Amino acid sequence: MIELFDVTKRFGEETAVDGISLRVESGELCALVGTSGCGKSTTLRMINRLIEHSEGEIHIDGQPIRRFEEDTLRRRIGYVIQSTGLFPHWTVARNIGLVPRLLKWSPERIESRVDELMALLGLPRETFADKYPDQLSGGQAQRVGVARALAADPDILLMDEPFGALDPITREALQDELRELQARLHKTIVFVTHDMDEALRLADKLVVMDAGRIVQQGTPLELLHEPATPFVESMLGGDDRGLKEASLVTVGERMLALGPRLNATARVHRDATLRQALAVMFREHADRLTVIDDEDIPVGELSLQRLVGNTRHE
Amino acid sequence: MEAPRHNRVLPALILAALVAWLGADLVSVAANRIVPGEGIATLDAIGWGGMLAGTLAMLSVAVLGFRPNPRKYRIAMAVTVATLMALPAVLALAAARQADSDMPQARLGIGPGFWVVLFVMLLAMIELRTRLGGSRLNGWALMFPVLLSWWLCLSWWLEPLALLQEFRGRSDQFVAAVLYHLALVGAAVGTSLLLGVALALAMRRFPALQRAGFGVLNFLQTIPSLALFGLLLAPLAWLAANVEWLSAIGVRGIGWAPALIALVGYSLLPMVRNTFVALSEVDPGVIDSARGMGMSRGQVFLQVRLPLALPVMLEGVRITTVQAIGLAAVAALIGAGGLGGFIFQGLGQAAMDLVLLGALPILGMALVADALLGALSERLRPGGAK
Repeated sequence: MIELFDVTKRFGEETAVDGISLRVESGELCALVGTSGCGKSTTLRMINRLIEHSEGEIHIDGQPIRRFEEDTLRRRIGYVIQSTGLFPHWTVARNIGLVPRLLKWSPERIESRVDELMALLGLPRETFADKYPDQLSGGQAQRVGVARALAADPDILLMDEPFGALDPITREALQDELRELQARLHKTIVFVTHDMDEALRLADKLVVMDAGRIVQQGTPLELLHEPATPFVESMLGGDDRGLKEASLVTVGERMLALGPRLNATARVHRDATLRQALAVMFREHADRLTVIDDEDIPVGELSLQRLVGNTRHE
Repeated sequence: MEAPRHNRVLPALILAALVAWLGADLVSVAANRIVPGEGIATLDAIGWGGMLAGTLAMLSVAVLGFRPNPRKYRIAMAVTVATLMALPAVLALAAARQADSDMPQARLGIGPGFWVVLFVMLLAMIELRTRLGGSRLNGWALMFPVLLSWWLCLSWWLEPLALLQEFRGRSDQFVAAVLYHLALVGAAVGTSLLLGVALALAMRRFPALQRAGFGVLNFLQTIPSLALFGLLLAPLAWLAANVEWLSAIGVRGIGWAPALIALVGYSLLPMVRNTFVALSEVDPGVIDSARGMGMSRGQVFLQVRLPLALPVMLEGVRITTVQAIGLAAVAALIGAGGLGGFIFQGLGQAAMDLVLLGALPILGMALVADALLGALSERLRPGGAK
């Protein structure tokens, strides 16, 4: 659990972060979203003391972070940045083993941990262990970055625009992988991004920042339903925000389970998002879709009216 | 990108070599050390057979550059190496043909034609090595037969060669001069490495030092070397006269002390600049993540910043060394000795071969130092061991 109490950071005359309070529960992924220079990266870097906060208090599991020695604190917190920050003169395996080595684990324990992580991140050991970072694609390099951050099994992970430099397809793939990882590992993650779609996809808790202050925080759906200010609304895409909401809800949540009339020919999977369902309707000129499960068996029906949340006439 | 169909470098090089081979004087012969030599063209020096053989060998290298493939390049490389191996034999042949019992004092000088062919064929070798993409080690291995052939010919068949005669007259001096030259350069580079790294670290720690530091170093660099030696003369002479232990270790207004100080002075700028830039330009993301992972400042410096900066720092050592090897020659003027001594003696006696005796080893040392340090810096590049 990470708590910020009225934290302020000043660089000389300038106030980068202005009295923010925030609580990230254990196992929660909290996304800090905002435009460039809104203080989101500064906030993140104050948590592992790469930047010292000027006022207020930051607690990890109830302990003020200043009570820990800097390096000890950081070895307990995973850190992933946009440029990966992999050491170009070290092999992939050595890069991943960095923090365990700093913690003076035995060589055998480091090696088996590195193996484990490479398997977890889908990096076959034979292919990647002895490669150098320059020989990796952007996506592979960032996987190594994530593996390195997870190496000493920290409870907390700080990620500073980790997928910002990747092409859209790789970025989505890595977002999916992160979601799966998180479903298994339940780390407490603070995730900085300027990409609202990324934040909506990943976050349990969304924090919108502007000019060093928190403008609004809540679950993605809360923010989509009730943006507190025009700024939050524009961050959420203005009129597009309905579509963003549609991509957060699955077909399974809105369908009519195995209804009486299953005459729709167009089909959509139960786990697809409403946005995808809408796209199918648009493409097929249909206002009803048959909902199927993994075995291709119809399990329900989704009408346009149900899709938009209007269930009165059913 | 499509590779050009023909290699354009080889024909251009070979054309230059052929012009020199067929048009310029290959060697010169002088009756004794005093009189100027008389130039002799290739045909007269080694006869039709030798001239044709050389011409054909060179032409074949150029022809192999058309529609090249690795096999053709390898053949061209073999021909080039063979040509380089044959060159000392060409001199030996010329010496034998010009031998005249009436003139036992006659001396064989190396003419412009020979120098050009030698130089161009070495360039062709470098070009071919680049095309073949072999390792540095392979490149050096190819030089071995060439050097062996030169050594054999010089030992047995090149007695009349003027350069060799100048060497014979002062072989002890020569060895001493080479060692002295190396020691002077080594001391200068070593000292400036220590001072340079210390200065660069200080500049990084105290940014206020940067402007002043680089200002002074840049200024030092602009003082002509002879003037700097002159400027050091008075203060060092004064120190030697007044500080006993300094004069006891041999510090004088002339000699090695001013030479060393001047060499260190000139070496500092490239050393400090490269070290400073190398340390400053390490990817900030890498440093940030190293700190963020919990490495201490010392660990970040020793395990990350320094190893990543090392190739660029070595580049500074390389520049400094090559520069110092050349500059140390000038130091002979203030009695510092070294290979420069032969150059200035030769200039004084109008004996060009004596000048060469000093200049050629300096050239060789510079090339070897350049290649060795270049290879080392390449090897240390991140992931470059592959």
